[in-house]
Parts: sequence; C-alpha cells; structure tokens
Amino acid sequence: MITEKHVKSFMREIPPDKIRRNSDNPRLFFRSEEMDILLASIRRYGIQVPLAVYQDAGEYVLIDGERRWRCALKLNLQKIPALVQKKPTPLQNLLLMFNIHALREQWDYLTIANKLPSVIELFRKENGTEATESDLSEITGLTRGQIRRCRLLMDLPDQFAAMLQKELELPKHEQQLSEDFFIEMERALKTVQSRVPSAVQNLNSARHALIRKFRSGVIGNITDFRKLSKIATSVSNLGVKEANAREAIAKILDPRKETGITEVFTGQFELRYDERKISLSIESVAEYLELASEDDSPVVIGRDVKQQLLKLKTLIERILGR
Amino acid sequence: MPFDMLNTGLKKIAECALAFCKKHYGGNSMGVAVAIANEISWRPTFFLKPDRFHILAIEVEEKLFPESLKGAAHDIEHYEDAPISVYQACSLNAYQSDAKQTRVNLLRKHGFGIITVDDDGGVTIQHKCIPLAQHISADQLDSELGSLTPALKVKFKQAHDTYVTNEGQGLQQAGQIVEAVINCIAKQAMKRGVISTGEARGKLADMIDALYSKTQFRDHRAALGAARDFVKEYRNTASHAPKNARQAALKIRKCKAGFLDAIAVATKLRIVMQQLGYKAQIYTT
Repeated sequence: MITEKHVKSFMREIPPDKIRRNSDNPRLFFRSEEMDILLASIRRYGIQVPLAVYQDAGEYVLIDGERRWRCALKLNLQKIPALVQKKPTPLQNLLLMFNIHALREQWDYLTIANKLPSVIELFRKENGTEATESDLSEITGLTRGQIRRCRLLMDLPDQFAAMLQKELELPKHEQQLSEDFFIEMERALKTVQSRVPSAVQNLNSARHALIRKFRSGVIGNITDFRKLSKIATSVSNLGVKEANAREAIAKILDPRKETGITEVFTGQFELRYDERKISLSIESVAEYLELASEDDSPVVIGRDVKQQLLKLKTLIERILGR
Repeated sequence: MPFDMLNTGLKKIAECALAFCKKHYGGNSMGVAVAIANEISWRPTFFLKPDRFHILAIEVEEKLFPESLKGAAHDIEHYEDAPISVYQACSLNAYQSDAKQTRVNLLRKHGFGIITVDDDGGVTIQHKCIPLAQHISADQLDSELGSLTPALKVKFKQAHDTYVTNEGQGLQQAGQIVEAVINCIAKQAMKRGVISTGEARGKLADMIDALYSKTQFRDHRAALGAARDFVKEYRNTASHAPKNARQAALKIRKCKAGFLDAIAVATKLRIVMQQLGYKAQIYTT
C-alpha cells in the first residue's frame, strides 16, 4: 500500500511551455463548451488556483490542472502559478490524479476505465498481490459500484470502446450513446450469456443490433436493458422454458427484426413477473396469519389490518367466487 | 506531435485544413500551437504566411465563434508587426447545425472567415476574410453611413466593396467621394459669388482653404478643417507600397481609419450643404 510521506512543495511562476501534460492523466475529453467557460474566466480573472506539477528532466509534468494549463496555452499566458511537488512514483502519480479528479468532479467512466488496468498492474508490482475491489476503492477514492461499472467498460471490445470515445467527444447534448448505455447493455448481455448462453451466438453482432435498435428508437430507453436481464433470469426465477427465453432474446438480438425489448417483455414476461411478485406477497400474508394463529390463544389483529383483510376477502370472493 | 492536444475529430479537421492551406498558400513560416506574438493573447491552432506581409491564422474548434477568438480579436486587430487574417475551421456538420446562422454571422461580423471540413476530408472556404485590422463590419458601415444621402451611401458602399479586396484602392475611392463633395460645394459657392472661378478650379487643398477664409463659411470651419486634414493625411496613404509586414500592417490600419474618416468628413460636409441650402450633386470619376 502507499505510505503517506511528507512532501516538500513550493510555489513557482512557470511558463506554460515548460510544462508538459501527464501521460498518465486518465482525462480524455476536454469538451469545447466547458473549456470555453474556463477560458473566459481565466481571461478575466487569471489563474486563481495554482496548478500542481512535479519536476522531471528539466521540465515540469502536470499532476493537476490540465484544463487550466490548456487555457493558459490558448490564451498565450507568459507565466502561470504552480505548486511544484516531489516527483511521485508511477502508482502514486496515477492515484494522485484519481483522488484529485475523480472525487472533485465527475470524470467520464471511460476515462477511469482506461487507466484502471494500469492501477491494477502497478498495485500488483508494488504489493505483490492482486488488488481486490475493496483495495481499488480505497486507493482510488472510487466507490465499489463505480469500479464495477468501469470494469464493464474496460472489457468492451476495441471497436465499441472507440465508438463510445467518439460519442463522448461530442458536446453532451449531441451524444446518443452514453457510458450508461454501454454499461446497461453490457450488464444485460453478461446476464444473458450466463443464464441463456445459447441465445447469443455472436456477442459483437448482438451489440451492433442493440446499438442500431437504440439509435433508431426501437429500444426506447437504456433501462430497457434491465428487462432483457429479466427475460434471461426468467428461466431460473419463473421457471420459463429455456427455449422460450432463447426465442424471445433471439428476436431482440435479431438485427433484421424491428423488435424492441419492452415489446417482448410486456408480451411474454411482464405478467409472469407480476404474478410472481403478487404470489410472494400472498405467501407473506399467509405466513403472517399462520404465525398469528399458531397457538390456541385468540388471534390478535390490529383494526387497520383487520379492515384490509376484510376488504381483501371481499375482493377474493368476487374474483374466485364464494 | 502536431495537433496532439486536439481530440480525434478536431485533429482530423486540423490536418485537412492545414493540408489545404499549405496547398493554397504554401507552408512559409508555419507555426503549430505556438504564439504569433507575446502581445496577442491567443495561440492559433496553426498559422502560416501566404506572403511576406501577411499572416493567416486558423483556429480549429467545433463551437462556432469560440471564446478564444472572441477575446483575441482586439489584440489581433491592433497587432503592429503584420496584418493577420483569421479563419475558424470546423466540421461541415457544426457549420450546418448553426441555427439561423447566428454564430456564423457573429464570426463574419467580427471579421473572421470560416473553413469547413466534411466527413471525407473535403475542405471548403465558406466565408472569406481579410485581415482583422482592415475589417469594417456591415453593421458598422451602415451605422457610419447613417445620415448621408442615398446616392452618397451607394458610392461609399461601392468604395467599401473595393476596400475589402484592396484597402488602398478602397480608400482612394472614398477620398474621391470626399473630393466630389468639396467640388460640389465649391461649384455652388462660385455660382453664388462666394469664391472666384479661379478658386473653385484650383487644387483641392486650395479650394478648401478658399472656402475656409470666407465669412459665409465661418460657421462651417470645423467641417472644412476636417476635410483639409483628411486630404493632407490620407491622400497619399493608398499609393505608398509597404516594404515590410510592419508597414503593411500600418498601411492597413491607416486605410481603415482613412475610410471611416472619409465617411465622417462627407457626413459633416453634407450637413454644411444642407445648412447653406446647397444641392448635393456629386460626380465622381
């Protein structure tokens, strides 16, 4: 694990040309609109918060403040304030940036995902053990949930990672495929693969089909992917025949069919899930009543519960007959 | 690495725009992501010198009329060492997505040109531009021409068309309009016996001096003085060829000032004519 050491640092005015970007900075995207706001602010008020750098081979390497540094270059500032720190180890360098950036502002998950393997590798080298999810959470400052989401993006094949990267370079309002889209899609495909493996012949074709359907509106919402997972888990949860689940999933993954996830789910699975839910509720009520009437003493039920039970009794009698 | 600070989309635009500019203007004194000068608070994506006296700078950015250009316009316009023309290069999609061309018009209004790059790497100059120091926006021109007669407005607009392609000739044309207005005043003053025939047919400066000395023009000496200064200051500006970029920048600034001065002088003389009851019959060559 990293030990905290007292690091002597000092302030200095540095020409921006003497600074170079940190190749380990996971930040990939500098969107025009966000940069424009910062540029206007720096033009008006200057750089109020110093950058953080370390010295290396006669130059300075950025630890924190790449956006400010880029603005300084664009504005042709002659000198900018920087806090010069001791040169960190490679893992310290990466983790410094994770802790500075990921905690302070919302990094794109892809940005983190691209650098997480380096963190894992450097951790293994420094500590001789594999980093657990808990270790990663502790040293990077990310929650375990965030790490799991990043892992889904880490595992994306190159062509889809490139597709996502291209999207993320666009201004937010022009982005069609978000990180959340890929995370939800990958999660659903993983479930399908583990529960109904025969439903996915070619994972990349399945991805392409789902992306096309999402772009064209056949899949209306990224949360629809949760329904795809439910279709896959219906085999074990509802006792649906695997062949039926496979057939339903095949329709969704078929690029030639304009079949959406909600359409299939509503038509074939939603009712069964609802029935399962109500059945669990009924079981729970029955269990409570059985427990309440287990011994010989008179059953004590509160007035409100009694009224609800009577109402339920009337409804049941109306539906099932006396 | 050139353009390594740009994302993949912008990098492609920058590379295509650079190749286009090198093909059309050559790659002399090219600079990528470096400053043109310390006193300009902006670093273009790249710049080059199409000729000895002129810098062409390109800002590659998807957002039209970005903050970087907005803030740098003043410095570029007042840069003394060379005239600078600035284009923004963006994707064709960004250009076409600009609703009602609002931001495109802002760029043009401030004197910037626009280059687009399509998905296949095809480069098109959508709007040409001249050095920022030379630029007079359509809004500013209309505002300056405000109180002139329709005929004078047309003449100055024609002169502006010339000015946009050749600042010296444009100024010369504007000067000829001022000259015509003075001639018109002198001719009518002669008819009314205010000045002699000889005075009305003399050199322009002498003609102004003659009018200036007459009591009938006592209340209009400010306008005549301005006309005299204009003739003295700008008559030869157009004909002096610059020997270096600094002189070219100076000439451009002088021509712009002269052009606007010509309109101001013509406006003042027009008021003189109105107040004296003279007709505005302007004949230019």
